[in-house]
Amino acid sequence: MEMTENLTATPISDANRKKLEQALPMWRIVLTQFLEHKMALVGAIIIALFMIVAFSAPLIRVLTGIDPEAQNVFNRYQAPFTSAIAGQDIRETAIEKFRTDHPQLSESLEKDLIAKSLVSTTTPADALFELTTKEVPEAFKILDQVGTSGAKELQETFKNFSTYHLFGTDELGRDVFIRLIYGTRISMSVGILVALVSALVGLLVGSLAGFYGGAIDTVLMRVTDALLSLPLLPVMIVIAAVDMQKLPFLKSLVSPQNESILKMILILCLFSWMTVARLVRGSILTLREREFILAAKTLGATDFTIIIKHMFPNVVAPMLVSITLGVGESILFEAALSFLGLGIQPPTPSWGNMLFNAQELIYQAPFLAILPGIMILLTVISFNYLGDGLQDAMDPKAIRR
Amino acid sequence: MKAIFALTMLAALGCATPAQSAPSNTELKIGISQEFENFNPLIKTMSATSYMFSLVGRTLVSLDANGKWYPQLAKSIPSLANGSAKIIDVDGKKKIVATWEIIDAAKWGDGNPVICEDFAFALKVARAPTVSVGEKETYTLVEKIEADPKNPKKCTFTYEKARWDFYQLGQFTPLPKHIEEAVFNKYGKEKEGYEKNSNYSRNPSLKGLYNGPYVISEVKLGDHVTFTPNTYFYGPPTKIQKIIFKLIPNTGTLEANLRSGTIDMISPLGLSFDEAVAFDKKVKAEKLPYEVTFTPSVTYEHIDLNLDNPILKDVRVRKALVYGLNRQELVKALFDGKQEVAVHNISPKDSWFTKDPKEIVLYPYSKREAGKLLDEAGWKMGTDGYRTKKGKRLSLVFMTTAGNKVRELVQVYMQNQYKQLGIEIITKNEPARVFFGETTRKRKFGAMAMFAWVSNPENSPKSVLHTASIPTEKNGWSGQNFMDWSNKKADLLMDNLELEFNPVKRTQLVHQILKLYTDEVPALPLYYRSDTTVIPKNLKNYKVTGHQFSETNEVEKWDLNGTILN
Amino acid sequence: MTTYILRRLIQTCIVIVILSYVCFYLMTLMPGDPVDLMVSSNPKITAEDVVRLRKLYGLDQPSYVRYGHWVSDLAKGELGYSRTYRVPVAVLLGPRLTNTFILSMTALVFSLLIAIPVGIVSALRPGSAIDYFFNFFAFAGISIPSFWLGIVCIIIFAVWIPLFPAGGTQTIGGPELGFWADIADRSKYLVLPVLSLSLQQIGRFSRFTRSSMLEALRNDFIRTAKAKGLSRQVIIWKHAFRNALIPLITILALSISSIFSGAIITETVFAYQGVGKLTYDSIIGNDFNVAMVSFIISVAMVLLMNLLADLLYGVADPRINFT
Repeated sequence: MEMTENLTATPISDANRKKLEQALPMWRIVLTQFLEHKMALVGAIIIALFMIVAFSAPLIRVLTGIDPEAQNVFNRYQAPFTSAIAGQDIRETAIEKFRTDHPQLSESLEKDLIAKSLVSTTTPADALFELTTKEVPEAFKILDQVGTSGAKELQETFKNFSTYHLFGTDELGRDVFIRLIYGTRISMSVGILVALVSALVGLLVGSLAGFYGGAIDTVLMRVTDALLSLPLLPVMIVIAAVDMQKLPFLKSLVSPQNESILKMILILCLFSWMTVARLVRGSILTLREREFILAAKTLGATDFTIIIKHMFPNVVAPMLVSITLGVGESILFEAALSFLGLGIQPPTPSWGNMLFNAQELIYQAPFLAILPGIMILLTVISFNYLGDGLQDAMDPKAIRR
Repeated sequence: MKAIFALTMLAALGCATPAQSAPSNTELKIGISQEFENFNPLIKTMSATSYMFSLVGRTLVSLDANGKWYPQLAKSIPSLANGSAKIIDVDGKKKIVATWEIIDAAKWGDGNPVICEDFAFALKVARAPTVSVGEKETYTLVEKIEADPKNPKKCTFTYEKARWDFYQLGQFTPLPKHIEEAVFNKYGKEKEGYEKNSNYSRNPSLKGLYNGPYVISEVKLGDHVTFTPNTYFYGPPTKIQKIIFKLIPNTGTLEANLRSGTIDMISPLGLSFDEAVAFDKKVKAEKLPYEVTFTPSVTYEHIDLNLDNPILKDVRVRKALVYGLNRQELVKALFDGKQEVAVHNISPKDSWFTKDPKEIVLYPYSKREAGKLLDEAGWKMGTDGYRTKKGKRLSLVFMTTAGNKVRELVQVYMQNQYKQLGIEIITKNEPARVFFGETTRKRKFGAMAMFAWVSNPENSPKSVLHTASIPTEKNGWSGQNFMDWSNKKADLLMDNLELEFNPVKRTQLVHQILKLYTDEVPALPLYYRSDTTVIPKNLKNYKVTGHQFSETNEVEKWDLNGTILN
Repeated sequence: MTTYILRRLIQTCIVIVILSYVCFYLMTLMPGDPVDLMVSSNPKITAEDVVRLRKLYGLDQPSYVRYGHWVSDLAKGELGYSRTYRVPVAVLLGPRLTNTFILSMTALVFSLLIAIPVGIVSALRPGSAIDYFFNFFAFAGISIPSFWLGIVCIIIFAVWIPLFPAGGTQTIGGPELGFWADIADRSKYLVLPVLSLSLQQIGRFSRFTRSSMLEALRNDFIRTAKAKGLSRQVIIWKHAFRNALIPLITILALSISSIFSGAIITETVFAYQGVGKLTYDSIIGNDFNVAMVSFIISVAMVLLMNLLADLLYGVADPRINFT
């Protein structure tokens, strides 16, 4: 459309003409069209943001100094925007670590503390531990008074005892914010992994069925249809309830630590490749009779080359859309299964199991249930908009709104 | 527009919700969160069914809230002292013969008297190989039951062994022979034939099936049970005219149901402990017309250690596990201090209880002691914060029932505590059916299995501690000594305990067993559970027992009108 | 036509048999059979007893033999015995099936009633503010986790503003009040579950209606109709909508399976006494017979609905003939 407008204008320079005559590369067209879809753009930005958060979770952990598994049982169900003091056991462990890391410094500190009678105990070994029983500011003051060089380093340790909880704490006093971030990691990676694997499986099944046709096609497509028509959740519940370690061929792969996550991915992959398979089969069926494939065949190309080199590039676009939509769907399913107690097992946080844990004390701490839900909603809606945007952008027939 | 229309429709429907009022003696709706099954007393296995069953079914004896046995259907409890029971010698084996007399007024809901035949029939059904009986052990204690030819209510029980607790037949329930015999004769030979065709499952509202203060007028499995008074009940007439137990499986919505008046109270099988503590605070803050009760129970929450596990074979590691767990902080932080730290398998409600350091071994929290023991055992702290021995990490698999919030909470709490000690805990949870059906019995729980024993005071620990109770391939995986703990001395003590008729000597024997138990640490004692209920303020004479013979055994005394009975 | 239906029916049956066997096999992998349970309740059982019991229950045989027994029992109308509830499965299932049917059909009708007008309105004004709004609404509907929505609904409409019961199927003693009172009572319990179950379907249906309506409106015959001067109403309903209906029917059939899946979660959240919850409980509780029967019912229902959809497809579009 732009072109026609320009052509009716006054004579154009050579440079401009060259620019116009040069065909726009496919990706540029797609990109321009995609950028017009505002919601898809927003979705892409949100996803990118979540991905960055997921990747940098360990970094955020280091920066904030909050461990997703650090408990603080005397500060359970704290409301958002509160701070809490670490439990006694954590403080003692920290002191122990300090003493092993800085043996000389602790020794002189202990000696000075007792010499200036800033602590009640007389055994040097207990001196530093006694500090942990005091309030943080008080301990700070005492350390200021000691005057031993290096007391600052111990103060650093004490500073970490007070933690700020942006989104409050959960049923074990763990920080909800950092757990949500780690949950992002789990939920996103499960979603993306499942979408990728199922795309590969779908690609394989679809191209085999489409390219060879006949009996292979019939069998594969019957299986696909059967799986497509299944009520997914009951089937998934059955499979999730099975003990994977009982299945001989999986025994070596599965260990108690990763069983729940592996199982999750496996189950979701098992039931999400069908749409891709149908899609790929459809495109390949139409491609099979096209001239350029026939040409390749006459030139003696192997089936493998034809499928990989000539057919795959033509199905990439619809597959990309399907993968994007698949991620959202997988995240929803993961959440649903975890919500039923069959998904990712604690203490690994995922949005689904955080919700599952939260539903019991929903009146006391509604934010615990609301936050993961919002995260799921936000992610899934972003993926759906992204998929929609991609589809519009890549579909040559699509009409612009 | 459509959305607005839908909303108005919603609002219109919503207005029909009845307003909430204080419950009266006309009707009491009790919420439970656990599933229940068919009410056949022999077949039932679920605690919710047993809990409700006492409303409709009574037996010879029961145990009150103070841990004292009292007669229900029986006129009195037979004893060696008054001659109504005696020890006999049959081919060198000591047995007991006791006379039980059923009270004259005891009748089934259709007016037929409860007689010895009903007990003998129950015994016959329980012994049939085709019937899967929930609590088979009680029925194996009695060898035979004979009725006095002149008095069908006077029965002679012959017991297989001369045990001191022979009279504790609280789980031996009669079956109405006049109704059930025909079914049993017709279908008893088929597998599951009796279960499937019993009137308890086909016509559960048949009055003749019940002999308690109430009869069942409606059962909707998975939803509710309605109880109405039994006109033929032998005891004082019931005050409450209708009791409904409503199942609300999602404990999170129990509170909403209570507030909206769908239920009037929550039974001990309702809220999780966490929720009860939270709700208690709210009741006090908002001055709601309820009372949240916390009653210590005999339920012993603990962790069975798998002694087959090479790491746990070393008693020092087991001791380190008890020392290294701050149970005091656990109950304070997670339960608001409303459940008590356990020292062993006998609860403070039991007359056998002791926490005298001279009698048993106590393990107060001491991280240093735990660390020392682990060092001694050769588990040295590594740079990654975990202990290792010969290059192998100190790693233990810890399992419990999935979906039990409190247990999962305790589990993660412990995982964190042991991490501080350098022990890696790998958690793995399974649905209760799987966990108890297979994992614990076949000792497939790796290292640790957390669950509870529900019993009653003065209950022999034999079934969980004796060598003969270790489930093995050979005995068909029966028995409940899941730890594989085998101690000859303890075995002997337990054998003697069963046959000891002197209560003082019994206590001594128990203390000796406890000494061995606490010294060898085959299990980590966690805490004694408390039963929690939410009751309307005007409910009187409701006393939670805290053991398996629940307060529903006294349901006829419950009163919503206010006068206190003594 | 008849041969086509027959062939499809046979295919469906084969799929059901295969799936039921797979499910049967998976269930046998789950630990804890009836004999295990009997053993755990009886400390005095002997190894011989266990062997004898296993034989009595047929547990000593391989899974395909047991499957054969189970199928022949089923053919005799013997659905088996529920290990959890300790009653025959048939007693358990009847009312549950009705409840689930009521729930899913209400949800389906409700979502269609909202989705179709919404989809058409958006399609008629593509790019308008209302289109954007409905589109966002639809996307949110597809993306919202239904169980979370259920929980939020309970918090808002049962706790904060106590308009509706937080869970359950009907008030105890409801049926005694008379037919209409009973219906009113049941519908009160249905509102929240239907709401949380429908939202996803509304999103899905309205998007499909919109896109197939757009597609239909682009056709030449619409232009012809417009040129002929037909009224807007006639064009929309008689020409465009009828054509848009075809893809909608397919998606409707496929959505039966997702409604049923959704019902499992919705029924669990709202403690609604339906087959979905029963399926979930029985699988978790390892209640073999109940799990198998409810599983087969749900699979069969979905597959038959798919078949029905294919047939309806022919009714809506006369160009399609079955061969």
